[in-house]
Amino acid sequence: MQDTVDMVDDPEYEEEEPSFSDPEDFVDDVEDDELLGDILREKPQEADGIDSVVVVDNVPQVGPERLEKLKNVIHKIFSKFGKITTEFYPEVEGTTKGYIFLEYAAPTQALEAVKNADGYKLDKQHTFRVNLFTDFDKYMNISDEWETPEKQPFKDFGNMRHWIEDPDCRDQYSVIYEAGERTAIFSNDAKEPITVEERARWTETYVRWSPKGTYLATFHQRGIALWGGEKFKQIQRFSHQGVSLIDFSPCERYVVTFSPLMDTKEDPQAIIIWDILTGQKKRGFHCESSAHWPIFKWSHDGKFFARMTPDTLSIYETPSMGLLDKKSLKITGIKDFSWSPGDNIIAFWVPEDKDIPARVTLMQMPSRQEIRVRNLFNVVDCKLHWQRNGDYLCVKVDRTPKGTQGVVTNFEIFRMREKQVPVDVVEMKESIIAFAWEPNGSKFAVLHGESPRINASFYHVKNNGKIELIKMFDKQQANSIFWSPQGQFMVLAGLRSMNGALAFVDTSDCTMMNIAEHYMASDVEWDPTGRYVVTSVSWWSHKVDNAYWLWTFQGRLLQKNNKDRFCQLLWRPRPPTLLSTEQIKMIKKDLKKYSKIFEQKDRLSQSKASKELVDKRRAMMEDYRRYREAALQIYQEQKSIRLELRGGVDTDELDSNVDDWEEETIEFFINEEIIPLGDLYFIPQKLWKILPSSQYNGAECIS
Amino acid sequence: MKPILLQGHERSITQIKYNREGDLLFSVAKDTVTNVWYSVNGERLGTYNGHTGAVWCVDCDWDTKNVLTGSADNSCRLWDCETGKQLALLNTNSAVRTCGFDFSGNIIMFSTDKQMGYQCYLNFFDLRDPQQIDDNQPYLSVPCSDHKITSAVWGPLGEFVIAGHENGEINQFSAKSGEVLKKAKEHSRQINDIQPSVDLTIFISASKDNTAKLFDSTSLDHIKTFKTERPVNSAAISPIMDHVVMGGGQEAMEVTTTSTRIGKFEARYAKMWQFASLLNPTASTNITQSSLEEGITNSAFTTSSPHLSSFKFSCKGWVPVIEFNLFTSHRLLQNKGREVRRGL
Repeated sequence: MQDTVDMVDDPEYEEEEPSFSDPEDFVDDVEDDELLGDILREKPQEADGIDSVVVVDNVPQVGPERLEKLKNVIHKIFSKFGKITTEFYPEVEGTTKGYIFLEYAAPTQALEAVKNADGYKLDKQHTFRVNLFTDFDKYMNISDEWETPEKQPFKDFGNMRHWIEDPDCRDQYSVIYEAGERTAIFSNDAKEPITVEERARWTETYVRWSPKGTYLATFHQRGIALWGGEKFKQIQRFSHQGVSLIDFSPCERYVVTFSPLMDTKEDPQAIIIWDILTGQKKRGFHCESSAHWPIFKWSHDGKFFARMTPDTLSIYETPSMGLLDKKSLKITGIKDFSWSPGDNIIAFWVPEDKDIPARVTLMQMPSRQEIRVRNLFNVVDCKLHWQRNGDYLCVKVDRTPKGTQGVVTNFEIFRMREKQVPVDVVEMKESIIAFAWEPNGSKFAVLHGESPRINASFYHVKNNGKIELIKMFDKQQANSIFWSPQGQFMVLAGLRSMNGALAFVDTSDCTMMNIAEHYMASDVEWDPTGRYVVTSVSWWSHKVDNAYWLWTFQGRLLQKNNKDRFCQLLWRPRPPTLLSTEQIKMIKKDLKKYSKIFEQKDRLSQSKASKELVDKRRAMMEDYRRYREAALQIYQEQKSIRLELRGGVDTDELDSNVDDWEEETIEFFINEEIIPLGDLYFIPQKLWKILPSSQYNGAECIS
Repeated sequence: MKPILLQGHERSITQIKYNREGDLLFSVAKDTVTNVWYSVNGERLGTYNGHTGAVWCVDCDWDTKNVLTGSADNSCRLWDCETGKQLALLNTNSAVRTCGFDFSGNIIMFSTDKQMGYQCYLNFFDLRDPQQIDDNQPYLSVPCSDHKITSAVWGPLGEFVIAGHENGEINQFSAKSGEVLKKAKEHSRQINDIQPSVDLTIFISASKDNTAKLFDSTSLDHIKTFKTERPVNSAAISPIMDHVVMGGGQEAMEVTTTSTRIGKFEARYAKMWQFASLLNPTASTNITQSSLEEGITNSAFTTSSPHLSSFKFSCKGWVPVIEFNLFTSHRLLQNKGREVRRGL
């Protein structure tokens, strides 16, 4: 015993120290580049001076009398970027040739000069072209013959939309649990989730699905990885040290990654746009703050992406990743912008500036044509809310009208599909907690008021532009609105501080289908088909009772899935339907026919499942019974030993040694009641005259 | 089922135990007193006075002759059950965490805490040899340097002790050589309680890792797992039904800062064969669930009456009187704190 426990002190263990030296025949086959590529890149280079030379073209050609003046001007412009050690003005027949050579003290200064002075306009005729001297060499050496790039072998990842072909139309979702240690993909089933894939340390922080559900992105210190296909094989890797945020283009062609590390002046790497299919880096951008992620907003078809910087809106186009029409839009004071999810229309707003009113502008891209401008007054803040199809835009305008205290909110509803884009206004005096459009309809929901008097209002935007209040529920415990992705149904949730109150609403007739609670719920996630909804308590926000619950859209609880330190659940999005609107209409018309088939199928699987469950339990019981029988047999065999140990007394059954029992009488003090006689007498004395003598005698009997 | 309330301790109860017949119930608490009660009506029979620190454990031998208690006052004491006389005082270097009589009642074991620079020891005394007691010299002392023993019971036939450790390990220590006969590492966190079945062939372990597990006593084979959402403080196997009972809740340190709602203090019955198989741990069927205001620290089944089980509750905050409930099938009277000698 002593030996096994005190293994550490065993002298043998101390003597043997492992040898760290390589065996004699060891050949180092690891490239330095592979081992410490990131450090090698920063290795100082020997500067031979050539790197510090720039060539400036389009310099005015002057004679000797004006050369001094030219030199002064050039010096003034170019010494901004560093110390010029030599300058050379080639001459032919007394006049300069029109290009000059400048040498800086360091290659970085030369680079700076190229970056900033290239395209410098000296005057109307002379625009400088500045290049590195070494670049000339580089570009001269390019072979004239076209070398066909080597053909990359085609990697077959199988059917990337395998999950859509599920015969039971199950949707998938990703779950991160055990505080991020484990990630799993489940197929959703009303009975219980079916594990598709489960891996330890699949991601270091969290995961993201691409907009159409093709890829799952995982985060790592070195970059991100995309997974997909039937078995979730790795599809692509993007090396971006310290990546913390990503964003997919809606078309799934590009992915934008952000890392707070690794940004250098000459090589912008804070934001990188990658081509998903080739894995190539398309372009890098600088970024000072990631506070308003995504910094680049994509148009619905992925053709354009835009970024806002103070007073400018830069729109880039794909696949060139260059600025649209080579210039940004100058919009003084721009506060926020947003793409329409249905068309290439951009909406942005600028606040009031002295006498100029605040303005909301809708601009067609790429024509840059303003299709609607709306002026607003006394504006404090604006929020842009697009309906998912881009049919409507709601601009939530917080105003402080003249002569009043406090903020009034206007909902300016833009009807995008009509000529001239008419605008209607709904005014609300109460503070607004949440606003949400019905994803594919013309209704919107608003939570307004002050806790505990929070009201939920539902509005309908009619064809004639009239906005009608359909229903208002008062005194709701809610701070968030979650519409079903198919519209009509929604969950009003009071997350976190409101203890996880849930109300399931059908907005077609505005009824509360169910009121429930998932205590301390922090998230609500609809499945992409709108059949199920999941509420969850994430370990990231609350440390106990981490679980996700599955509900039907009507608010019937189907499953409670407790997962140790559950963190996050994300449904796998579905690509848009391939059916036309007519086909969908037809299906809706024939719904009764289909539902019959499905109901039958459900019943079948249900009876099968319950039979399976019964069988399983039977098997479990049988297993246990068999084990007990074996154990009891051994127990019986040991009876003699037991008898011996207890001096021949059989104690196997409580009454097996009943003959040895001695009768024992135990007396218990059960109860004692003390009734004070005086009190008893006192009451009858009062009643003396009223009570007939017989009753009086009765009282005497008691005492 | 009407519970009887027993009031006789002023601080948290640490362990309760029935004697073999189930007519007596022993309870120990942090208030240094050991109480013995009639289980039939909850009347207090008497007390064993002498300990000067919190009493962590208690056991009674098979013929209800001797009682063994272990305490944080660095001593393990042997009492005459009937008269309450202290028969032996075994001093240790650190607190005594677990104690027990073997099947024959001749050999006792107790384990000490790893504290004040002393490591955890598992000590064995043979009561038939008075010299061992007089010299305070165990015939076998097993050191456990890595992880201290948090719960321990004797295996069948007194051949070995089943000990649960701080790290969730369960070991069988031979009572003859001190060797580790078998090891099981099924739990990931501290074992809070180990209780055997009536015939000692199986036992259930309650762990901080939110599960209780059923093991075979001899082979240490894992049979079933019972999952809950909270740390399990105590678990017991019903002597006559295929049931186990589990009690638990938030850790005592967190009790006062969380509402009872979050804490989930409840005793939970689970049908043994139905819950747990490793294949399908989610198929839990609770026969009954009772929500209790305070945390359960220990529980016990009697061996006799089918309906008699009992829990005890730790105190929440500073409640001066600690109570525990006896759930019985009979409607019985309630009696508070009367000392009665066991009638002859």
